[in-house]
Amino acid sequence: MSGEVKIIEKERISTNAVMLFGFPDVGLVGVIAASHLISELKLDEVAFLDSELLPPLIVLHEGLPHSSIRVFGNNEVLLAVSETPVSADVIYPIMNALIDWGKSKNVKMMISLSGIPIEQRQDAEKLEVFAAASSPEMLKMVQDKGVEVLKEGYMVGPQAIMLQRCANMGTPALTLLAQCFLNYPDPEAATEVLKGLEKVTGIKVDTSKLLEKGEEIRLRARDVMKRTQQELSKMKKAQEYDIPVYVS
Amino acid sequence: MAARKKRSIFEIVEEYFEGMEEGVERLGETLTEKPSWNCRACTMEPLHNIMIAPDEVTVTVDLPFAEEKTIQVKPIDVNTIEISAKMRRTIRFEDFGITHYRGEFQTFHCRMYIPVPVRMEKMETRFKRGMLEIRIPR
Repeated sequence: MSGEVKIIEKERISTNAVMLFGFPDVGLVGVIAASHLISELKLDEVAFLDSELLPPLIVLHEGLPHSSIRVFGNNEVLLAVSETPVSADVIYPIMNALIDWGKSKNVKMMISLSGIPIEQRQDAEKLEVFAAASSPEMLKMVQDKGVEVLKEGYMVGPQAIMLQRCANMGTPALTLLAQCFLNYPDPEAATEVLKGLEKVTGIKVDTSKLLEKGEEIRLRARDVMKRTQQELSKMKKAQEYDIPVYVS
Repeated sequence: MAARKKRSIFEIVEEYFEGMEEGVERLGETLTEKPSWNCRACTMEPLHNIMIAPDEVTVTVDLPFAEEKTIQVKPIDVNTIEISAKMRRTIRFEDFGITHYRGEFQTFHCRMYIPVPVRMEKMETRFKRGMLEIRIPR
């Protein structure tokens, strides 16, 4: 099914980059963080995804059409970002195509940026960042860099597919999850996930603007959050709250 | 020719209800497809959610740019509350780079249906970090 998804390259793609994913999920953490990375690192659009599996939707920027799923990048970073939530029915072929494409570019690591909802988020003074990894070596690496590991639980969504596929292919991968609101855009959580990214990869961006523009981001992201909420419920995202039955 | 598997009455009933659920879900999505803003009333609909616990109902509303002293939560009837708040600044479509619509917004407004009986007179609210929390005992 991956053949129905094409990644069209607009520019020469660097090899040995770190590939990041920012897809709509809880608190829109990944998308907000990705958008900030694009603007702070001045990343250019280097590729986009074309597929009839996606709804008939384009995003207009400066009057010109763009795919809703694009890859931005420079010599060190490739960042796949989706501006609309990806439906549960097509998330596998879409993610698989992006992951296989990243693998073909010899990326040294894949990292998805996302969130993990907590109940008393409104009162939380400090938001923690957790990591899940594709291999014991990657797990050790994140622990050595001071990021806490998400030891047991379920993961639902694009990051789950990314982690599993990379584990199967032997590609080093991580998912970084910042504690966040479930159903509200959370720029503070995006800031924390970017700090986690810096710890792990050294990719550093100034996050002060993210916090300054927090209210504006929350207002602007309402519609995407609402649609993401609908897709997450179809994906049975609430399963992340479940306590797993231990199978060794 | 493969024999057609005979389905139990339970499977048939389950399938029927699953089909109905899907239909209702689709209808709900169609009916709720509307803009999150109202140019005539100069209002924006804030994101809001409801959580139902055995002893209370918690409603949260995200109100960025809201001026705390203007927030109003009014019970409309036994099951509906109306929430409004003025914004600290006027928001225009141009602020989001949108030029094909004209309009400006100064107020948040939404109505929420509470699907279980609650004691509206015991409602408590708090506003923290731009988020309104309304707790209503059941």
